[in-house]
Amino acid sequence: MQDMENLSDVSHLVNEIKHKKLYNSLDIALKTEELLEKLISHDQWKSARELMKLVKSRIKFIRKDLPTETTATSIMRHILKIIREEYESAAKKKGEGQSLHQLVTANSSDILDYSENLGSLRSSILDHLGEYKVEIESSSDNIAAQASEHIHTDEMIMTVGKSNTVEKFLKTAAKDRNFKVVVVEGAPFYYGHSMAASLAKSNIQTIVIPDSAVFAMMSRVNKVIISTHTVLANGGLRAASGIHSVALAAKQFSVPVVVLSHMYKFTPLYVVSNNHEAFNICASPADVIPPSAGKILNDIDVYNPIFDYVPPELVTLFISHQGGNAPSYVYRLLSELYHQDDYDV
Amino acid sequence: MNKTNDLLSKEKVVQSVVIADTFTDEFIPISNDIPHALLSMLNKPLIDYTLEFLSLGGIEEVFLFCSNRSELIKQHIDKCIAKGEGWSLTMKVHIIVSESCQSFGDCLRDLDAKGLLRSDFVLLEPGVLSNVPLLTLLEKHRDIMKLDKYATMTIVLQESGVGHRGRGSEDLVLAADSQNRILFYNKSTKNRSKKIEFPLEMFLENPSLSILHNVRDTRIAICSASVLPLFSDNFDFQTKDDLIRGLLMDEEILEGTIYAHVLRGNQFGGAVASWGTYRSLSQELMQKWIHPLNQPRQKNRILKNNTVIGACSKVSNTAKLSSSVLGLNLLIGNNVIVEDSFVFSDVKLEDNVIIKRSIIGPGCIIKTDCTLTGCVLGQDTVLEKSTCIENGLLQSSTPDNESFEKLSNKAYKLLEDDDSNKSHRLFVSDDEEDDDEEGFSESEDELSYTQSPVPDDTKLFFTEVIDSLTRGFDDNLVCENLILEINSSRYAYNVTLKEVNFNVVRAILLISLREPIGVQYFSHLSRLLSYFAPVLKNYLRNESAMLDSLQAIEDVVSSGENIKEKWVIAVLQHMYNKDYLAEEVILDWFRNLENSGDLYKRVKPFADWLEEAEEASSDEDDDEGSD
Repeated sequence: MQDMENLSDVSHLVNEIKHKKLYNSLDIALKTEELLEKLISHDQWKSARELMKLVKSRIKFIRKDLPTETTATSIMRHILKIIREEYESAAKKKGEGQSLHQLVTANSSDILDYSENLGSLRSSILDHLGEYKVEIESSSDNIAAQASEHIHTDEMIMTVGKSNTVEKFLKTAAKDRNFKVVVVEGAPFYYGHSMAASLAKSNIQTIVIPDSAVFAMMSRVNKVIISTHTVLANGGLRAASGIHSVALAAKQFSVPVVVLSHMYKFTPLYVVSNNHEAFNICASPADVIPPSAGKILNDIDVYNPIFDYVPPELVTLFISHQGGNAPSYVYRLLSELYHQDDYDV
Repeated sequence: MNKTNDLLSKEKVVQSVVIADTFTDEFIPISNDIPHALLSMLNKPLIDYTLEFLSLGGIEEVFLFCSNRSELIKQHIDKCIAKGEGWSLTMKVHIIVSESCQSFGDCLRDLDAKGLLRSDFVLLEPGVLSNVPLLTLLEKHRDIMKLDKYATMTIVLQESGVGHRGRGSEDLVLAADSQNRILFYNKSTKNRSKKIEFPLEMFLENPSLSILHNVRDTRIAICSASVLPLFSDNFDFQTKDDLIRGLLMDEEILEGTIYAHVLRGNQFGGAVASWGTYRSLSQELMQKWIHPLNQPRQKNRILKNNTVIGACSKVSNTAKLSSSVLGLNLLIGNNVIVEDSFVFSDVKLEDNVIIKRSIIGPGCIIKTDCTLTGCVLGQDTVLEKSTCIENGLLQSSTPDNESFEKLSNKAYKLLEDDDSNKSHRLFVSDDEEDDDEEGFSESEDELSYTQSPVPDDTKLFFTEVIDSLTRGFDDNLVCENLILEINSSRYAYNVTLKEVNFNVVRAILLISLREPIGVQYFSHLSRLLSYFAPVLKNYLRNESAMLDSLQAIEDVVSSGENIKEKWVIAVLQHMYNKDYLAEEVILDWFRNLENSGDLYKRVKPFADWLEEAEEASSDEDDDEGSD
């Protein structure tokens, strides 16, 4: 019972995501961060180990209820890493000053068990979290700031569907560059339409094309700029359905594919997972074929997957707030973001 | 939490009423032990889906109205709340138990007496699965109420094309004006009549209206507070349909209007009201139509052939499963075949069992070599070795009424009353054949519509004629008087001469058909015809009258009455012999008959004989006999 009570905060979060009250990945990220901030400042934990256990139980809860939700779990994973770092530095400070010798030998000999009760831990973690929050909030601005390095005058950019990050990126670039954008509408949800409308409002030359015209259009495109739902551990993407074919067409014409991604979209997961259902979600087939179609629905199965898997070899570059990285470098980013022991909670 | 407080201060809590019982015997014998709300669909009780839908829809307070086995539902809800199910966080669930309620209407009357609901609410009939955002619907209903203060209810409809399995056995036809106000509502279930009459005023009073047939009722309704008093004031309202019908009929007295809302896009709704809808909804759930409502991912495994199986089940390698939903903890033996069936939890199927189009309740044990087709088995039924049953309802305990058949100590077969339509109850008699038949007959109907829409006066005239003639024949009245009577009716109803001819002959023929068919029949027929000879002679004076009478014969034959094969020939023969019908007229008429029709085949020998123009009347009987 005690456990259940404690998890009510996270099940609220899960519910809000399920009810689509939280839709945007940035909102989810901020909400998750706030949730953990509250947990750390109010909950009665005594040691870092207890705190980590609390966070881990929340990650497990989300993974069970929303297997495709990675933003919230990534934020929590990163906070686990923050807790570990703060504990380590606090523990070190308590003892003697570190020598080079100690640094080299420490890892092998005494493994930290995070059980010590350190008074200053709470405040130092909260400080660190404050920095992290600012980092999340400014992430899309930082990504957008790099726009002029990647978009040049008179280029033709292709993008798929709607993404706030891409939108900001393009609009920032449009301030001092003149270029055209081709928006792939992204059937059957057609988020591309609202994206195009928004771009056109800020005086960017915008062309909307159906998904089927991607290949024909690709030869004229200079760059594909997209956003993604998740970056997997191998550098592959879980992105909106239809992006795989766009990436393949880009490969054919040697057009670079640039993926804009916040740090919290990187996950230590692989596509070859034992829980395949966790990779993709199927939305209602009503968007593909209306229920008024009648008799034919008795005889057919309709699938309307939301995501595509895009293999890493089709991606040219990831742009995060820290700058550009190749897909082969994702593993390194991951080890910076999360602690090895937290990869599989 | 802030959000709830805001809502509280701004407006009242959003309330919903869920009626948990169907008050029908659709789900017997399963419903004897399991209340409808706990019926498992893809290994999760129906009520869980309903509650999840309500919480997704933004409802904050739910009144769950139970009468049958309410303690089980209560236990289940308590367990869910203890487990911290998603909906329990955003929604309060109150269980109202009232054993005395016998119908949907009773429940609402009880609610009215309790006075729990103060404003608009969402009313759900049992077994609703949907993903509709209810708050926007409530908003819409309030907008309607601003314009029309008598708006009592908005019913939510789901598009569903004709022929779609999800329509179930219900056929809904409704007409709505441009404001979506319902003007006409017709829901037919068992005895599908093929004709629907729309009141003419509906078209006269409204410049534009739409008639909807490609919809089904989701059994979700947004109700104004005035709905409950309406039920209290009208004790004869048993169901929602009664209310709708009542409001439409006595518009002036009851003062209430009903609106329709048809779901579009990826919004979807449906309710489990019969095994047919149970089956289609579980399929729709599997195919994600009701996304984000989903089957319990942890419990179910999806196999090939559209089959879902619950956790902890043991299935033999040689078992063949297709298009079925199987529960938890099953034991399935060698060479078992399960097709188009629902098998609930803890069932044991021994070797070589074959189950097709059946529903096997929880805890059943079916021993080796049994074959079940189209059956419904109640909880804990045990079938002995090598039992074969088709289209039966079985349960484990002795039924209350006397109509049952004992198969073993834990298996009793319920015998159905003749009037309850078996095929309707079991989802088994499937659409395919049914549909084809219907398609055919429908087209036929259309033909007959276009041919002759009979005005009412003619119909009345016809019954009058029948009355006069039967009375005349029974009381042996003089035929001249009968002619007088017919003529006066003719003027009274303002019927053309053509119709008089047609109807008089038709009436005589129909009277003749009332006699029992037997050896005596033809002699009786000729007696009748000779009795009415003066009448016939009076009306059949020229060729067009003869043609009318032939059409009457045609009409009688095609009306599908129980007619002997020789009847047409006998009648024609008689009328020809008495000179009521001329040879050329008969042949002309015959040539215009459809070549493939039944009638054509029957008349052909007679026509052939006429063409040969044989004269010897003494040979006729022999000819006829040898034909």
